[in-house]
Amino acid sequence: MTEAAVGFYRRMKDLPSTHLLGTGTAMCAGCGGLEALHEIYDIIGDKSIFVNAAGCMTLLSVYPFTPFRGSWLYTAMASAPAGAQGVRDALDILKAKKQITDDEDMQVVVLTGDGSAYGMGLSATSGAMERDLDFLYICYDNEGYGNTGQQYSGATPHAAKTSTSKGARGFAGFKKDLFSIWAAHQPAYVATVIGAEPLDLAKKIEKARSLKGPRMIIALSPCPTGWDYDPKETVNIGKLAVKTGVWPLKEYINGKVVHTKIPRQRQPLEDYLKCQGRYKHLFEPQRNEVMLNQLQQKIDQYWDNING
Amino acid sequence: MYRIRLHGRGGQGMKTASRILGSALFLEGYEVQDAPRYGAERRGAPIFAYVRADKQPINERGIIASPDLIIVADDSLVPVAAAGVLAGVDADCVLLINSDDDKETWRQRLNFKGKIYTLPVETEDRAELRFIGATCSGAAACLLGIISRESLTQAIQTELSALGMAVINTNLTKALAAFDHMQTAAGCVSEGKAILATDYQSPDWVQLPFEEARTSAPAIHAAATSVNVNTGVWRTLRPVIDYQLCNKCWWICSTFCPDGAIDVDDNNTPQIDYQHCKGCMICVAQCPPHAISSVAEELAQANEKKAAKRKQGVRS
Repeated sequence: MTEAAVGFYRRMKDLPSTHLLGTGTAMCAGCGGLEALHEIYDIIGDKSIFVNAAGCMTLLSVYPFTPFRGSWLYTAMASAPAGAQGVRDALDILKAKKQITDDEDMQVVVLTGDGSAYGMGLSATSGAMERDLDFLYICYDNEGYGNTGQQYSGATPHAAKTSTSKGARGFAGFKKDLFSIWAAHQPAYVATVIGAEPLDLAKKIEKARSLKGPRMIIALSPCPTGWDYDPKETVNIGKLAVKTGVWPLKEYINGKVVHTKIPRQRQPLEDYLKCQGRYKHLFEPQRNEVMLNQLQQKIDQYWDNING
Repeated sequence: MYRIRLHGRGGQGMKTASRILGSALFLEGYEVQDAPRYGAERRGAPIFAYVRADKQPINERGIIASPDLIIVADDSLVPVAAAGVLAGVDADCVLLINSDDDKETWRQRLNFKGKIYTLPVETEDRAELRFIGATCSGAAACLLGIISRESLTQAIQTELSALGMAVINTNLTKALAAFDHMQTAAGCVSEGKAILATDYQSPDWVQLPFEEARTSAPAIHAAATSVNVNTGVWRTLRPVIDYQLCNKCWWICSTFCPDGAIDVDDNNTPQIDYQHCKGCMICVAQCPPHAISSVAEELAQANEKKAAKRKQGVRS
């Protein structure tokens, strides 16, 4: 993509109105991850090869059906970036041997859930960034091992109920800051996106597409099944994640972190929590004021540091 | 041995229903197995669960091929091939189905030789069938004739203990009402014969010879073949656009639809692809002028049929 083409997505009207990703996939109705992926795929385009670690989205391509228009490679949970290295090398060899032209080259895209990105696959990802592998990494982050019934993962937020943290206090750990972990490797690009903010997403994917080297995307993916809410609320909850400051939309480029959407008047965190069954124990049978305050404080601290 | 197979859609509580039946049978002194089938456990997908109960130790494992009692929480599953509701039935099998159509209709429709019992549907909207699992387990407990009201009550209290008293009480009311409703048919399910390992018949599959990977590895040579999968059958609610109200916006419904099942044509008019719309209703929630409303899928299909008939009538 040429420099001139960057910056095409300025208004909602610029978003694509027909879609590249095939319908008929096995993702749940109202899947926030699929929403982000279909928005992303429209911008990456069909000249792409997806390398998919085990997770919900393994079920996108079940022989003989695939929603993709290019190839798809399935890897074990910890090794999608290693798979991407092989695909990238193969394309480079084909190019060097002049068996494909530069025009026929493809984007190599890693697609994993948070279980792989925040945990099992972190080492392979670190290695790929260290080798400056030219690839795009998309993590759909639904904050737990969704495909197997929402056990906690390294992305599960503090106090959320999962099938392995069911007590009155929910998950005792804290969500890893994967954005910072990735940015510490100084790759070409790191960004957070969400399907509920499609214009912000489009701008970032467009930018990522125009760069070389490791380009890393984390898409917060509201999950009706794992987070326990009505599927129709996926976009509302996604918007609330941004408005309450839970999910900061930001990017890392040229050594700097820039927030792309700063909620000027942050909505109380409670608005985000109370519409999800996984936080019900914070409100029933009685309100857990201590925990609610702690959670709000954590968000406030983050934004105090940003806003200075 | 009693072999019970439960069919429902993800979210209707059939796994819980199987656990309730399992616990109740255990309380009655039976050896019990209850297990859901691992697979697509997402909302709306066909879900299977199995219960075995015997006074002897149970050596059988795996899915139940020839059930003595089939429980169907959602009658829209019957025509879904992947649900396999009628797999392995014989004349001794009892079918319990949650449906507004009466048992005579079902007998003729399915040419079913065994006994059929129906549970009247309480709501038009399948998305509202939140307690159907408990209702089914109550009715089934009565049909089995070996579970007392007390054991059923205790099993529900145990299995739902994490959900709080209000939820337990609603489920209890529904389950016990269904238990009482079935009294005239109490004990109609009979135990199936023991199945011996020597009687095992391997499934009717095609044996593929071993070939080297480059020959036998599956390859898909066409793009976006997933469109051949009709995910529209998942839908319990249907989004319907009122084009009078649609303000031909900047494609909000089309962008937010997770499945990409809404495209906008050259006149900026959105078109919903009902072959693939899963009925998540995000478009209904997001449309700024509220031009999209949700209609119960069953009602929408009935209206379509009526309209088609009317059209035919006009023609002839």
